Amino acid sequence: MEHALIEIKDLKVEFKTERATAYALNGVNLEIKKGESLGLVGEAGAGKTTTALSILNLLAKPAAHIMGGDVLYKGTSVFSMSEKKLRDIRGKEISMIFQNPLTSLNPVFTVGEQIAMVLRTHKNLGKKEAFQEAGKLLETVGIASYRLSDYPHQFSGGMRQRVGIAASLACNPELLIADEPTTALDVTIQAQILELMKDLQDKYSTSLLMITHNLGIISELCQKVAVMYAGRIIEYGTVKEVFKYPAHPYTKGLLGAIPRLDVDSDHLEVIPGNIANVHHLPSGCKFHPRCAFCKKECEQEEPAMNRINDNHYVACYINEGGL
Amino acid sequence: MDKKLLFGRIKRSKFFIVGGIGVFFIIILAFTSPLFVSFDGTTSSLMERFTPPEGFSKGLAGHILGTDQLGRDILTRILLGARISLSIAIICVALSAFIGTVLGLIAGYFGGAVDKIIMRTCDVFLSIPSLILAIAIMAVLGTSIINLITVMVISRWVQYARLMRNQVMVIRNKEFVLASKAFGASHWHIMFKQIFVNITTPLIILLSQQIGQMILMESSLSFLNMGIQPPLPSWGSMIANGRSYIASYPWVVVAPGIALMLTVLSFNFLGDGLRDILDPKQK
Amino acid sequence: MGKYILRRLGATIVVLFFATLITFILIRLAPGNPALMMLADSATPEEIAAMEAYLGLDKPVIVQYLIYIAGIFKGDFGTSIMYQRPCIDIILSRLPATALLTFAGCTVGLLVAIPLGVLAGVKQGSMVDLSAMTFALLGQSMATVWLAVLLVLIFSVHLGWLPALGYGTFKHLILPAITIGFPLASQTTRLARSGMVDVLKEDYITSTYAKGISRRQVYTKYAFKNAMLPVITIVGLQIAGYLGGAVVTEQVFSWPGLGALMVSAIGNRDYPLVQSTLLVVAVMVSLVNLIVDIINCLVDRRMTLN
Repeated sequence: MEHALIEIKDLKVEFKTERATAYALNGVNLEIKKGESLGLVGEAGAGKTTTALSILNLLAKPAAHIMGGDVLYKGTSVFSMSEKKLRDIRGKEISMIFQNPLTSLNPVFTVGEQIAMVLRTHKNLGKKEAFQEAGKLLETVGIASYRLSDYPHQFSGGMRQRVGIAASLACNPELLIADEPTTALDVTIQAQILELMKDLQDKYSTSLLMITHNLGIISELCQKVAVMYAGRIIEYGTVKEVFKYPAHPYTKGLLGAIPRLDVDSDHLEVIPGNIANVHHLPSGCKFHPRCAFCKKECEQEEPAMNRINDNHYVACYINEGGL
Repeated sequence: MDKKLLFGRIKRSKFFIVGGIGVFFIIILAFTSPLFVSFDGTTSSLMERFTPPEGFSKGLAGHILGTDQLGRDILTRILLGARISLSIAIICVALSAFIGTVLGLIAGYFGGAVDKIIMRTCDVFLSIPSLILAIAIMAVLGTSIINLITVMVISRWVQYARLMRNQVMVIRNKEFVLASKAFGASHWHIMFKQIFVNITTPLIILLSQQIGQMILMESSLSFLNMGIQPPLPSWGSMIANGRSYIASYPWVVVAPGIALMLTVLSFNFLGDGLRDILDPKQK
Repeated sequence: MGKYILRRLGATIVVLFFATLITFILIRLAPGNPALMMLADSATPEEIAAMEAYLGLDKPVIVQYLIYIAGIFKGDFGTSIMYQRPCIDIILSRLPATALLTFAGCTVGLLVAIPLGVLAGVKQGSMVDLSAMTFALLGQSMATVWLAVLLVLIFSVHLGWLPALGYGTFKHLILPAITIGFPLASQTTRLARSGMVDVLKEDYITSTYAKGISRRQVYTKYAFKNAMLPVITIVGLQIAGYLGGAVVTEQVFSWPGLGALMVSAIGNRDYPLVQSTLLVVAVMVSLVNLIVDIINCLVDRRMTLN
């Protein structure tokens, strides 16, 4: 049987600091198949970035502790891979676009050097060839190649994110992880970056893990979607299915929280309460304190992932009971 | 800050514990020494020149660390020197911190031309290495303890002024400061009651680190014969005077040298530990 | 870039202007007649009168200051009483010794400190880190006098390997260079360590790892350059300080540099020489600072924006 590109199995991650322990991931299960594009959606602090960094085995040590579970890349655990093997994968087979383009580029190296370092590491190109190739990559993302020798601070936020994208595409990766690539940008620039990503996705046919809290982006770019809450996946399925028939009250809330122009409604629906505190997680279903349909069992035990149909899974007691 | 957290950090900071114990003992020894020393540290007795260290073989009545070129008991002189050096260092740190803090607060709070003038003055002082500046001023003023303190304060206040100014710049536009301005509080009140109380942590850290630096500077000046004047002992001048006899009577310089090193080391450990405890991010 | 350098140059000139003011005032602060202070004790009344006229003591203070400044621009820093020669000549003849000592001391210090600091920062919390920090604290706690004497005691008196004092050969250079290098190394170790610790937490380092770059390359190149920025500034300041004369070190080892010159000038009450040495030191320190700022600005182009 052929392995999925990425399989995350019951992954549990904690961050321990002097003051407290943050339960960032509490049993995440997720699969990304070859050529598939998956959207990972959730509020800030739900564990989206932690999931992404786990895939590359890049969680910040010594604070991060993997308490259980595994991440398999083509069937091999990334946590047991040699440093050498990991390096070969990072940036070449799996690459990542970071959330904040202002902080994710090194301020004391030119953008050319930063793109070229990927090429020199993975394609064994010489300095000159790497720079030529980097120039071409810049052109693909819509930046003139003469700007190779400029420093990051000479670019706007949107331009820097284009540089980040260029560097992540340098080796034509099998999987591209985009961690909220547009959150730190202006709305108009966001649209440009998304447009660019869409074009590039068509062109390169890489798998995509799109992390965002913006459902609009997911419906534009992804086939599948996974909804994350307090370090767990609570609903998973094809975008069409999940967006049309959301099964989890949280997903319903998220979808309701997008203002819609086509439906006449005089108030914006909001999910009551705040996102679960990662230092003191509630018992049972992590969403129950905010849930309008909360039952007794929700407070006691975490619901398991249930199949609604082949294209739709949800972790909620309501659906079990056929509510 | 959370008491439990603070206590936990104290327990884990080896530097703080070692330094704290060291400083405690040094201060106790230095200031209670008149109660137990059996010699006069300032009168010479040439008959007993260069007595080698006798250790505790004669109890407290012997020359535990030996005698120097004038037959004076080295341990007594070291303890007396400790008292003088520590007193001077603490006075200098207090004075330079006071002057620097006030000027730094003023520069940071008022900004503009006042800030420019004070900061440029700092640059001028920084453009002359502090020891060179100190000996030049000493040369003109003449040597005395008051002048020594003056010189050390003049060459060290800049550190505090720059630190305080930068700290003030960070918080002077915070809401609580703007709010008290809006309430019509006086500049004086805002500077000291609102701003200063919020930036004491870096000041405390700098203070604790500067005591060792002051002791070192005093020892250098005394070594150059521009600090504490004979017959009063200073570790720096003890090393300077014993230097000629180093080949035959090494204890004359080794004893004050080690005393100097241990003292400054204790203060530096304490300062570093304090920083780890109060502001672990700064490490 | 050019603008930034011009602005820094302007600030340097202002600082130097104040430095002349300080050195000018210093001599006039001294009790007694400045003319007497500028002359040897054996000066005749005619000589005193001539010096008073030269200093323009009968003229307003502002005019006196202008005369002093005008002299400096003509390269006239006054005449040394001790040597009966122009101060500037004597100072220039001492510069090479001080420069050599500074260079050697900094080389020794940095060669130890930078690898040690980087290693400690990378292995934060390990035994290596604790030892490096202890080494650094020890270095900062060694009085120059004590360190110098201790080195002499070990390497000259006991082992007999190196000369205790003097100038001229490579062997003479070693002990003074270590005396200067050790405190420098301890400070630099700490800076390099904390720079490394801070930089390794940055987003751009995670993103560098995400590109498949090896740890070694990150430590020696992609984080190294950032971590070295604060080091450059402080080491620059230190170098400037030593160029002004490592007074105690030069004194202990009889090293014929600026610091020793200053001490002997003071001992001989050679005030013109004290005054001009002070000014030359201020000029050198300011210039080194300017150069350091320019280097920093070349390494980190963001500086020009501020």
